Amino acid sequence: MVKKYPVRVNVNGDDYEALVDPRKTLLQFLREDLDLTGTKEGCDEGDCGACSVILNNRVVSSCLVLAVEVDNAVIETIEGVKTGEELHPVQQAFVDSGAIQCGFCTPGMVITTKAMLQEMPNPSTKEVKEYLAGNLCRCTGYVKILDAVENAKEKLKNG
Amino acid sequence: METFEYIKPKSMDDAMNALNTYENAFLLAGGTDLLVGMKYNSIKPECIVDIKEIPRMNTFEFNDGWRFGALVTVRDIEVSDRLKQTMPFLNQTAKALGSIQIRNRATIGGNLSNASPCSNFGAMFLAMDAMLKIISKDGERQIALQDFFCGPNQTVLKKGEILTEIRVPEDAGKAEGIFLKHSAGKSNDLGLVNIAITLHREPGTNLCKKITIAMGAVAPTPIRAKKAEAVLNNNILTPDLIIRAAKKASNEATPISDFRASADYRRSLVATMVAKGINTLIKAS
Ligand code: FES
Ligand code: FES
Repeated sequence: MVKKYPVRVNVNGDDYEALVDPRKTLLQFLREDLDLTGTKEGCDEGDCGACSVILNNRVVSSCLVLAVEVDNAVIETIEGVKTGEELHPVQQAFVDSGAIQCGFCTPGMVITTKAMLQEMPNPSTKEVKEYLAGNLCRCTGYVKILDAVENAKEKLKNG
Repeated sequence: METFEYIKPKSMDDAMNALNTYENAFLLAGGTDLLVGMKYNSIKPECIVDIKEIPRMNTFEFNDGWRFGALVTVRDIEVSDRLKQTMPFLNQTAKALGSIQIRNRATIGGNLSNASPCSNFGAMFLAMDAMLKIISKDGERQIALQDFFCGPNQTVLKKGEILTEIRVPEDAGKAEGIFLKHSAGKSNDLGLVNIAITLHREPGTNLCKKITIAMGAVAPTPIRAKKAEAVLNNNILTPDLIIRAAKKASNEATPISDFRASADYRRSLVATMVAKGINTLIKAS
């Protein structure tokens, strides 16, 4: 029997208690144990950003965090971004700008954009490119994603 | 992956106990290198000691020189206004490291202890003549960063030792400095060459009182370009002299060829980047 460790964690406002295998990443824990499958696994080694979540107010790659490390942490995943049935302005901006093709990178893009706009409401294009540099998209060519971020900035300003 | 014990000590003493109880224990800070190593099975820990809850390891302050806790994250350095005003080259060093997701987790102590030849902070702190504080159950010792690295991913840290602090002399905070990384395109990739420079000039002139030049990714560990420094120290920084020093630095580099770049290309990058770094510093004022 593999020894398991107790973890208490708040995800999207809900408290969870679980016993976890120490080898499990936060990404696996979210997807397999909590059934929050919006967060995607791309590379599983910290290079693509598909697994981005906000951990204690900072955007991180959940594939490079062990589930046992997040005891007592507060986490936001893509499932927690909308309010009720209403999309978050960042999500709506991605839809409006046509910044989604296959959609695999989108949860990570949205989470990272949200984290960025919380830290700096009015980033320059250069700052946006730097902040999103760890989020890879194989479909869109990034132009529409940058449009979506501009759009999201406006929406939040007028919010 | 084999399973392992996971321990999260609340004090340094508990961390020491854990480290000394297990044959093959690894420290976990930001985890951005450790987890990758574990996934590739190049690291097979028997026990993981997560040191993030040990107090006072994640702060930095000025107190007769600068003291940086080993668990300060790269992102903390990047966004620090206090550092922007005194040592903006440290903010630069941080900003050039990986993606935001990595910088939010990775720690400066981890960056040094992992001892990658292209460690950003390895080069910058080397240029700043940093000292390290290392703790074990037998007490503490101080060593110069210069004596810390011994090869790719190898340091002088012995079993049961923890790097807890990085100290830089007050002097380093009064220098001008720059960190340059050259990587393929504008990517987050590791640097093909990193250059870190600090410069003390006679105020209002180009007389170099003291220069330090460190290079990353061009030798088994980050190294100082001592011969290039000697060419410049106590001399006026003229264009000719800068070129001469840049060539010296390039000769001091012993890079390898790999899938990222050839040794020759790296050597020529060294010369270009050293000259560019110095010129940027003297043009900035
Ligand atoms: S899956 Fe985590 S960064 Fe790619
Ligand atoms: S939309 Fe397909 S990867 Fe971005």
